[in-house]
Amino acid sequence: MNYKILVVDDEAPVRDLLEDLFKKENCLPITCGSGEEALAVLKEEAFDVVLLDIKLAGTSGLEVLKDIREKYTNLPVVMITGFGFDEELISKSKQFGCCGYIGKNMPVTEIVTTFKQFVKEAKTKGKA
Amino acid sequence: MNGGSIPLSRLSHYEHLKMDNIFSGVIENAAVLVLYLDRNGKVALCNKKTQSLVGLKSADILGKNWLKVLFRGSDNAMQRDMFKAVLDDALTYKRAKDFECHLLSDQGGFRLIFWNVAPVLDKLGQVQGSLFFGQDITEVQERKNSVKNIDDSLKNIISSIDEYALYVINLDGLITYFGMGCEKMFGYSKPQIIFKHVGILHNVNKADSELSLILERVRLFGKYESELELFTNSGLPIPVRLTVNQFLDAQGKLTGYVFIAKDITQTKKLEYQVFQAEKLAALGQLSAGMAHEINNPLFVISGRLEMLKQEEFTPKLKETVNLIDSQVNRIRKLVDRILKFARKSTLTLEKININEIIEMVLSLAHYNKLPSVKVEIEKSFQQNMPKVLGDADQLQEVFLNMIINAYQAMPEGGVIKITTSNFQNLYTQVQIADTGVGIPAANFKDIFMPFFSTKGQGTGLGLSICHNIIKNHNGSIELESRVNQGTTFTVKLPFI
Repeated sequence: MNYKILVVDDEAPVRDLLEDLFKKENCLPITCGSGEEALAVLKEEAFDVVLLDIKLAGTSGLEVLKDIREKYTNLPVVMITGFGFDEELISKSKQFGCCGYIGKNMPVTEIVTTFKQFVKEAKTKGKA
Repeated sequence: MNGGSIPLSRLSHYEHLKMDNIFSGVIENAAVLVLYLDRNGKVALCNKKTQSLVGLKSADILGKNWLKVLFRGSDNAMQRDMFKAVLDDALTYKRAKDFECHLLSDQGGFRLIFWNVAPVLDKLGQVQGSLFFGQDITEVQERKNSVKNIDDSLKNIISSIDEYALYVINLDGLITYFGMGCEKMFGYSKPQIIFKHVGILHNVNKADSELSLILERVRLFGKYESELELFTNSGLPIPVRLTVNQFLDAQGKLTGYVFIAKDITQTKKLEYQVFQAEKLAALGQLSAGMAHEINNPLFVISGRLEMLKQEEFTPKLKETVNLIDSQVNRIRKLVDRILKFARKSTLTLEKININEIIEMVLSLAHYNKLPSVKVEIEKSFQQNMPKVLGDADQLQEVFLNMIINAYQAMPEGGVIKITTSNFQNLYTQVQIADTGVGIPAANFKDIFMPFFSTKGQGTGLGLSICHNIIKNHNGSIELESRVNQGTTFTVKLPFI
């Protein structure tokens, strides 16, 4: 379960929290603050999964998701947002090929377990 | 005109001749139709006016049977029979008579003639013939008819448009005419209100100033037009567009004022709904943005708190951490509610039997934290209703919300009456009525606004969410309420 995770969020306190949460789970989180930065990092390094905020300063999370999908076909992306479970955002994210959707309004413990669940499903699917 | 018989035989021969000369000139040139028929109905005299009307020369008529000459053709049979009956009556019973009958004119078409017929007797009182004076009243009758037609159609128009009320007052302000639409609009019957002061239809507190302003305007500008509220017999206000004009007599003298009030309740309602919808949409956008901005720091707080909880604390500190945790949860729930209000959620549509939805809600209501007072639930469900297309979960939320509201409106217990019915074969109508504290009229306009609450508990989002859900279903939601009597919510959802 030692996933290497690219965490993309434009708010530093949120990035730091996610980093700490995943470190506690023995994962290896790498954080960045924008979509552009994330795409640059992805060119240099390989990741097991991307956790991508939808509302980003600059290129929006959904645009970044589209880009990742084109360039890295098998890289699972989980979307995360402060908008909660907005059906429009969920359906767009799915349409652009995310493997999961998380609301920041969920209890924190649930966020981590749900995230792990999504990655596990994506990995099994990828192998099959 | 309806005189008796003319005793020609009482005149001397000389007098006869003298009279003849005078009369023949007068009769020949008279502006009325003059006709003398002998006892066999043959024409003995027929003046110029008569000849020109029927288009025959005196030579063609004299000595001929009047009925045969004049009433040719089958169209004329009825007129001929009538004429004959009058003639027979005069000849047989020596009676004078007035009657109207149509004559076929030389110009084509019928002319309506008003006839006066009198028998002419000899000195023994025997009938010699009958004398007819006739007047062409075709135009008079046409004018009468057209006036009557206008009158009738005006009456029809006024009585058929029921959102209008037309009434007239005299110079003393007393109601002298209370038209058809009035009884319906104001709830007064004619005898109740005729000769009452028109102020009775206005707001008691400002009737005088309102009316003096209106009449002042009419006197100055000839007309008054404005929107205001008038009041029914039961004291309910009706928004109307009021037009007031001068009421003049034939000489142009002011004798009163004509009021036409148009009920604009529906227009007002629509305007209000549009306004409300725009306001809610703007608020929705604002709320979504706010909720997002709150969720991010809240996520950090609750995440950090979660990590903090893993540490060892003194009991006092642990209590504090738990308190922070519960308050953070409270904020999270509130933000969730706000997002729910703001969100244009897509509906998961299915065919729904509304009675089943309500039964489900009633069983759910038991598990909600409802006040433990005695509340009776009366159900009156219409069976075999057409289904509606809707999102079962969301509709359940709407009705659950309303039932919980009804409970909370009755802190001392009461009755909740739930009625389902088919509204005009177009909508399923659900009414949820309580016997609770009611809502003051002043609060009606805010009741569906987010964060509007009078309960001191809850977020004030419940009804605004209900409003959004029903609106997404193309339905409507309305309320009626009287303080200390109760509130009724009416939801209408279109049939499939």
